[in-house]
Amino acid sequence: MGVLADVYEMLNTCNKCGGCHTACKTYKLTGIETMVARGRIQLIKAVADGKLEPNQEYEDAIMSCLLCGECAVTCPNGVHGNELVMAARRDLKLRKGITPFAKSFALKTLASPKRLGMGFRLFGGVGKSVLNKLDGMDYFRGIDIRNFPTAKKQFLEQVPERIKVQNPKHKVGFYVGCFLNYSLDQTAHSVVKVLTKNDCEVIIPKDQVCCGLPQYCYGDFETAKSNARQTINTFLDKYSDAEVVLSACASCASMLKHDYLKLFADEPSYLPKVKLFCEKVVEFSEYMDKIGVNQSQLHNSSPLTVTYHDPCHMVRGLKVTKQPRQLLQMIPRVEYKEMFEANRCCGAAGLVQAFFHEVSTDITDQKTQNIKDTNADLVATSCPACMLRLQGGINKAGQKQKVMHVADLMAKAYED
Amino acid sequence: MLSQTVVKRLKEIVGEKNVVTDKVGLLTYGYDGTLLSGEALGVVSPTTTDQVVEIVKLMNEHDIKLVPRGAGTNESGGTIPSQEAVVISFTKMTKIHEIDTENFVAVVEPGVINFDLQVELAKQNFYFPPDPSSFKASTIGGNLGECSGGPKCFKYGVTRDYMLGLEVVLPNGKVIQTGGRNFQSEPGYDLTRIIVGSEGILGLVTKVFVRILPIPRAKKTMLALYDKVEDASQTVADIVAAGIIPTTLELMDNLLINTTEDFTHAGLPRDAGAVLIIEVDGYPEDMDEQVKTIGEIASKIAKEFKVAQTAVEVDQIWTSRRSAFGSVARVRPSYGVNDITVPRSNFPKAIGGVLKVAKDFGVTIGVVAHAGDGNLHPLILFDQRNKEETETVHKAEQALCMMALDLEGTISGEHGIGLVKKKYLDKEFTPAAMEAFRKIKRSFDPTNRFNPGKIIDL
Ligand SMILES: Cc1cc2nc3c(=O)[nH]c(=O)nc-3n(C[C@H](O)[C@H](O)[C@H](O)COP(=O)(O)OP(=O)(O)OC[C@H]3O[C@@H](n4cnc5c(N)ncnc54)[C@H](O)[C@@H]3O)c2cc1C
Ligand code: SF4
Ligand code: SF4
Ligand code: SF4
Repeated sequence: MGVLADVYEMLNTCNKCGGCHTACKTYKLTGIETMVARGRIQLIKAVADGKLEPNQEYEDAIMSCLLCGECAVTCPNGVHGNELVMAARRDLKLRKGITPFAKSFALKTLASPKRLGMGFRLFGGVGKSVLNKLDGMDYFRGIDIRNFPTAKKQFLEQVPERIKVQNPKHKVGFYVGCFLNYSLDQTAHSVVKVLTKNDCEVIIPKDQVCCGLPQYCYGDFETAKSNARQTINTFLDKYSDAEVVLSACASCASMLKHDYLKLFADEPSYLPKVKLFCEKVVEFSEYMDKIGVNQSQLHNSSPLTVTYHDPCHMVRGLKVTKQPRQLLQMIPRVEYKEMFEANRCCGAAGLVQAFFHEVSTDITDQKTQNIKDTNADLVATSCPACMLRLQGGINKAGQKQKVMHVADLMAKAYED
Repeated sequence: MLSQTVVKRLKEIVGEKNVVTDKVGLLTYGYDGTLLSGEALGVVSPTTTDQVVEIVKLMNEHDIKLVPRGAGTNESGGTIPSQEAVVISFTKMTKIHEIDTENFVAVVEPGVINFDLQVELAKQNFYFPPDPSSFKASTIGGNLGECSGGPKCFKYGVTRDYMLGLEVVLPNGKVIQTGGRNFQSEPGYDLTRIIVGSEGILGLVTKVFVRILPIPRAKKTMLALYDKVEDASQTVADIVAAGIIPTTLELMDNLLINTTEDFTHAGLPRDAGAVLIIEVDGYPEDMDEQVKTIGEIASKIAKEFKVAQTAVEVDQIWTSRRSAFGSVARVRPSYGVNDITVPRSNFPKAIGGVLKVAKDFGVTIGVVAHAGDGNLHPLILFDQRNKEETETVHKAEQALCMMALDLEGTISGEHGIGLVKKKYLDKEFTPAAMEAFRKIKRSFDPTNRFNPGKIIDL
């Protein structure tokens, strides 16, 4: 019970005031008390008190949490519902040896680069072709599988280890992350383009692995740690000339920057190295804003209305909100329109979209409606998982907007 | 345990998904805003009046009791399944049927969250005055069940004053309509007013006709800061004596200033003994005069008086005030909120009384008050895990209630009686009045099926 004992004071600090009811999308859309921070916390507490033996319904309550962190910002008592859910997932994993979802093989797949590549291809290629034959199966649980992009070749296999520029002002280590490597390789190329246009030499270590976030979120700290260790050692030991470790995926960036510290809290001897690494981590927009963007070469021939979606890990994890909006507005002839509830979760939330698709679909539908209301031509965001989820939702709703990474828009403007 | 037959029938009535019988689900419908808890036999969430009727009839056939529930934020144990009962949750009846700005009426289902209604109304420049601090979570059904108040009550009154009519499912399964969409009071008994504040023991409300108002053209928010909470209470009495009725007159003491500051960072001075949040609304041309008069009265005692300059500032001040109850677990994990109310003129005496109770019993009390109404919420902070401390807290609570009654006040201003305040009710009412309560309950619900054990025992 160690994990829950560690967070017991926080569990006990929830005084059931209901302040999280409006914050928690899974509750707002279902009206079910097991689907709100307050309910989840009371259940975790019941388990910690030995009054409840974890069962399927308990796992559902814990696993359906989006980890969006909205409850933590809203709670007057400073209770962090998302962290308590994380502790509960860890506790489940320790009790059972495997996380419930690991059964579904998704997490195991993510843990190994080889299997991961296969997984993406299977899902995007074979899986798609089979499903293509089945009428009406364009959407598997609200996920737009027919249009699920897969890179023909991993991004890491497409590029050299170092991409030099003429007069380098900066040396940037690029942490690519699974989604940009296996699925949205175009976006990874955009990141490289924007960096090089701004006099950055780009260093792309070939032996980088998954950041460990998916495993961490579902309580498998061991795998998460082993991945984290490899990432840290690679960047710090082998590529120590990289001034920063840049990620264009908000979720990876927030994991690398904040969660690694928590993950290694019990290893004091290694912690200083982790700290060093975390300090180097920077998110794409944040970095571009910091070094100052070469604006004179940004071109755009036709007027474009753009709106922006704040990924959960961007707004509540990294707390970066202004920079991406500023970058978008630097592009000539871009009219920026803010959408309603731009900073609320898109509904993807890791595996929640696959296992609790009814809630996720409702959340995404709200999001696509908010996008539609802005009359924007294009939605920009900073997280590949959001990109896929949003594009799927938009397609499903029969809307026309295209979803792009901030880096994609900038890269395009550098080409024009 | 519910029999398979009952569960099957319930599922037929409301659909599989809207019936909960597993332990995990039941646990989450066993608590409310208090420290109490219980476990229901089942939870059923209807989506229409017809379903509610069917449920009530089924429960009657099988002699099962029902506990109505909104968001479960009440502070009196009103939704605790303290006896064997099925919880009927209204959180899935969330339709806003109609907003009629010409006749100042909105027609809503009971599960509509107060805040969601405000958002829809604001689009048409209207609002619903009752605004309990829990308004982002609490439902219209729960608001009327407890006859909730809020910061705006001083000028605008409580939930009761905004209920035009109700659709109610009675314990015998029949549906009645009380009042209506018109302002004129109904002929005969005012049944609406009997149901409002009855905490779900007389009938299940399935549709609500609420009175709405246009948003005032202008408002001003002021802060008066004091060294001592007693000083603040004197300003309250002075403002009332001067015949001024601000929209709100809210008080928070030093403890709450600090716990809410931890959350909102609104910039309230952490060393102040107390703060009064004063708001006036009306026509733009009246604002300056009102602010000036209030400023003069407050400045006699306050160490600082200021007018909020920006909308952001106003927002932050209200976020602070609204999160008062919510934020105290930062100090101690458990709290008991009291709801004593005294005649306005006795407000300073009541504040004195609270301080004395804190001292006499050696307990930590934070005070937040709808001062304009003489409604105080002394929050006693403790740790429920400590049995001895919990005992002392109960004694202190009793002392607070007695103190309020001595000052010609009442034990509950807006949170209702439920289970928590039940033991004090006969201290406030004569045996004859208590018998009248029972008779009304019996005439509606002779077999004691709706929310049994709340307010009164039969
Ligand atoms: C942080 C916090 C701040 C608060 N601030 C205030 C405040 O400022 N002012 C105030 O007055 N209260 C306040 N409260 C108390 C509480 O929020 C109110 O009593 C609120 O109106 C309860 O609404 P609910 O939807 O949670 O109802 P619940 O707690 O679910 O139910 C309340 C009562 O109504 C009955 N009921 C619910 N729905 C129906 C229905 N459809 N038909 C018949 N009976 C029904 C229930 O049986 C119960 O007796 C606060 C509570 C908290 C936790
Ligand atoms: S998590 Fe925070 S906001 Fe939610 S009920 Fe608990 S104390 Fe209130
Ligand atoms: S993290 Fe998000 S989904 Fe999970 S409990 Fe908090 S608000 Fe709800
Ligand atoms: S994919 Fe959606 S759920 Fe995940 S971080 Fe992005 S916004 Fe949140």
